Amino acid sequence: MIHNLEPVHASKPINFSKIFKRIPFYLLVSTYAFVIILPLLTLFSASLRSDADLYAPTFLPPRFTLEPYRLALTSYPLGSYLLNSFLTSSLITLGVVITSSMAGYALARVKLPYRELIFGAIVGLLLVPGEITFLPLYLHVNSLGWLDTYTALIVPFIASPLGIFLMRQFLKSLPQDLFDAAKIDGAGHFRILWHVAIPLASSALGALAALTFLGAWNMYLWPLVTTQSKEMQTAQIAVSNLVSAEGSQWNVVAAGAILVLLPTLVAFLVAQKAFVSGIALGGLKG
Amino acid sequence: MNQSASNQTPASLAPRSSRMKHLKGEWLEGLLLLSPAVILLLSFIVYPTVSGAFLSFQREDPFGKSREWAGFANYLELASRPEFLSSMMTTLKFTLLVAPLELLLGLIAALLVWRPFAGSNFFRTLFFLTTAVPTSVAAVAWGWFLNPLSGWVNWFVRALGLPVQPWLTDPSYAIWTLGVITAWAGVGFVAILLTAGLQGIPEDLYEAARLDGATGWVQFWKITLPLLSPTLFLVGLLILFRSLTAFGQIHLLTKGGPAESTFVWVYRVYQDAFFNFRFTYAAAEGLTLFLALLLLAALQFRFFGRKVHYE
Amino acid sequence: MKKVLIAGTLVALSMALAQQNAKTEIQFWHSMGGVLGERVEGLVKDFNDSQTNTMVKSTYVGSYDDGINKLLAGIRAGKVPNLIQVYDIGSRTMVDSGAIEPLENIAKSNNFDLEQFVPQPRNYYTVDGKLNALPFNSSNPLLYMNTAMLAKAGIQYRNSWRLSDLEAAARKLTIKDASGTTLRYGIAIPIDSWFVEQFSYNSGEYFCNNENGRKARASEMNFTNPADVAFVDWWARLVKDGVMANIGRSGDNAQAAFAQEKAAIVAQSTASLTGLLKLVGGKFETRTAFFPFLKERNGVAIGGASLYAMKGQSAEELKATWGFISFLLKPNSQAKWHLGTGYFPVIKGVAALPNVVQAHVKQPNFQTALRQLETTKVNNYSAGCLAGAFPEIRQYVAGAIEEAIKGKPAAEALKDAKAKADAALDRYNSAIKK
Repeated sequence: MIHNLEPVHASKPINFSKIFKRIPFYLLVSTYAFVIILPLLTLFSASLRSDADLYAPTFLPPRFTLEPYRLALTSYPLGSYLLNSFLTSSLITLGVVITSSMAGYALARVKLPYRELIFGAIVGLLLVPGEITFLPLYLHVNSLGWLDTYTALIVPFIASPLGIFLMRQFLKSLPQDLFDAAKIDGAGHFRILWHVAIPLASSALGALAALTFLGAWNMYLWPLVTTQSKEMQTAQIAVSNLVSAEGSQWNVVAAGAILVLLPTLVAFLVAQKAFVSGIALGGLKG
Repeated sequence: MNQSASNQTPASLAPRSSRMKHLKGEWLEGLLLLSPAVILLLSFIVYPTVSGAFLSFQREDPFGKSREWAGFANYLELASRPEFLSSMMTTLKFTLLVAPLELLLGLIAALLVWRPFAGSNFFRTLFFLTTAVPTSVAAVAWGWFLNPLSGWVNWFVRALGLPVQPWLTDPSYAIWTLGVITAWAGVGFVAILLTAGLQGIPEDLYEAARLDGATGWVQFWKITLPLLSPTLFLVGLLILFRSLTAFGQIHLLTKGGPAESTFVWVYRVYQDAFFNFRFTYAAAEGLTLFLALLLLAALQFRFFGRKVHYE
Repeated sequence: MKKVLIAGTLVALSMALAQQNAKTEIQFWHSMGGVLGERVEGLVKDFNDSQTNTMVKSTYVGSYDDGINKLLAGIRAGKVPNLIQVYDIGSRTMVDSGAIEPLENIAKSNNFDLEQFVPQPRNYYTVDGKLNALPFNSSNPLLYMNTAMLAKAGIQYRNSWRLSDLEAAARKLTIKDASGTTLRYGIAIPIDSWFVEQFSYNSGEYFCNNENGRKARASEMNFTNPADVAFVDWWARLVKDGVMANIGRSGDNAQAAFAQEKAAIVAQSTASLTGLLKLVGGKFETRTAFFPFLKERNGVAIGGASLYAMKGQSAEELKATWGFISFLLKPNSQAKWHLGTGYFPVIKGVAALPNVVQAHVKQPNFQTALRQLETTKVNNYSAGCLAGAFPEIRQYVAGAIEEAIKGKPAAEALKDAKAKADAALDRYNSAIKK
């Protein structure tokens, strides 16, 4: 069902009269799409304006300038913020992929006592939103002495109940013969996981990775309370700082926000399939 | 980890091992596979939840120097303060706006693009795009879009001959405005899920309906909506949870104001913990929210659980 | 022999390197963004370049709120900077934390004469008989006026404004279209409790009890005083009449409204002077005036923030911290800071330095805050309110303004806010007593 979202390439020659008949439809879909992305367009427009033109009531900037970008990049170490976001999100994603496939495999394919009970407990954890545990988690991380370190930004999130749930469901749905064959060859579970399960689950893992990366990149509350120094802060906090420091120059704030948006936007455009199926998978099954 | 673990595998490979021995080897492997996740989940979800519960029965000074048992004092204070009820109401208002609006906006987008047409990929990308927009960027974009001085929305309003509106600065609008922003930020998410849902409806149903001469409108009400309803419901629930825990947009745009009109529950927990420095009281607030969410989930399972099919 | 020589060279080299590394590093957290941030970083750089023993590492930790919150979190974790900038209203909390090294102690052990300080800022940060912090960036509220608009409306510029006179002027300055929609506002004030506080002081009222918490710990707020009720009522009335722009809580919006010529007058801190002039960019002439009062002008309290040295530093670090502080107090640094931002000097005699005098002649707006300070009566009104839980209380006051704008009678809105504020203060005071 998710695979249907893959691009469909029209092999038939373009039928212009058919398209002509569909003009009202195209008008509708274009208008709606325009309205949806309008806030982003206005932000982009603001980021290309000089101070003097900022409030000029035109859709396009009266005179294009990249000055706001220069200001945003020189007065803030945006590059290091972005790097932090990239580093933490990548490591969290890697961690989630590893722990989820290991635990998901164990729960799906290894005969363990109380297996269903453990699985049930993990599913139960899906109901605990991070916004609830952030406060005691913060005190916990604080007492471990992790405040303002990468450890605090990464380690608490490298196991995900959702990831385990998804991987377990996926691996359970695979035909048993695939695993039996490997077993007859004398392979242990670690080898089966590595050589059989993971290759078979690569699309599911890609989707899980995309979903996790997006979630990690968007984390706001957690880095807000656990980071102190600019060496540790993430791109989201950079936006928050820009708003409080440069609020009188919205063009600079806008430029900073566009720069923070760019990496996820590019990632989304490049790996749209993985993102879309990740969200469809995570959403519909979670 | 993997290295040392693979050393254990021979146990299960031993040619003449008894069934018991084999099972033990299997358990060991299973435990090794499970343990990283389980240890992490115990340390970073279970433990904080439990310690948060303990914390909520304690009392301390703003600097964390002294901590002592306080019984139900935090919960009694919670119940006695008008902020408790007003925050609950604000959260409810917010959620009740966001859920249907986000669902509607996403459904429209999904209905427009779920069938392939020339250019459908392009439009899908546009509609799904907000998924890639971080909350902070969404908040900044809308902050500018709604700027009280010369935001684009206000230009539009003025062009219509209406007075400029203080979208985020008037206590009677702010929470609705935030609701619209939140719903907008979720359009891509909902559109993706509903597109997948729509594509799961068997095409032959539509063909049969067309043969019977049913119009698009009738098809929508008789086929699309009923068959999409489990997905719609599930997505609605996800939105509900997401909107109940909204934080970034509020922190960046209104900070709970004007006149406390956007003090949703999560923001109050944050405020009491990291602004008023009353961690133990905030822990009680957090736990109360958690219980409310659990109750919601339980009700959902009780009433609708059987209608939702997991594959 | 050769070996010895090489070894000797290596030892010498490593010693030289060690010396290089022996620089004491001190952490300095501040909350100065935009132009102000550039100026602070400039001073830090000047200091680092001026000597070889100490390296100050400065970090922008977000708004004042974010800064003190990060500090309080750091106190729990035992991870604090050497020096931190905390806003005026955090003074009570900072002293109560017991985590600071009072400036007076450090200054005395370094034979620094506290009499060099200008009295008002020193008064403000003197708590329980001791100067606790360095009044680094001290400001007061000003009215910024677009003189072209004033002249066009036939209003004479002057320094001192009674609230009723300001209202008359603002009404004259407002331009509306035929349908009654405001095209240009007479005045814009961001919804910020600070202005309500200053109106109390300037009209000779206390903002909290026990003489602004100066005679004894404040136990109750006093913003239901006649001056504040009149001020909030005035505020709501002007918004309702389309004379004042409702631009929300953000000072940035107020500045933008002024620079975009959408408002003729704005109330802002003197700290915004440089940034605002830059934003206006010479499009029109700007003049600053004193903050308004109800009947008789008492003078305002100082605002802004101060620098706290934290406890638990090694003797070496403390020495380095003091080195940086005394650098900031040098007349040249003070002059640079004053002229680069609009904050006033806190050391006596800086205003008489030749380059400062020259700059004042060129840009007289830099003098307004100083004049306002000099003509302020030194009493417990202008000492400013000292209270715990002040950040929370400020939110209730801002909420009261918003309620009043929405239509609630000002007296009632302030009374309701006072109930919440008093409860917050109560909670704070009883938590501290433990």
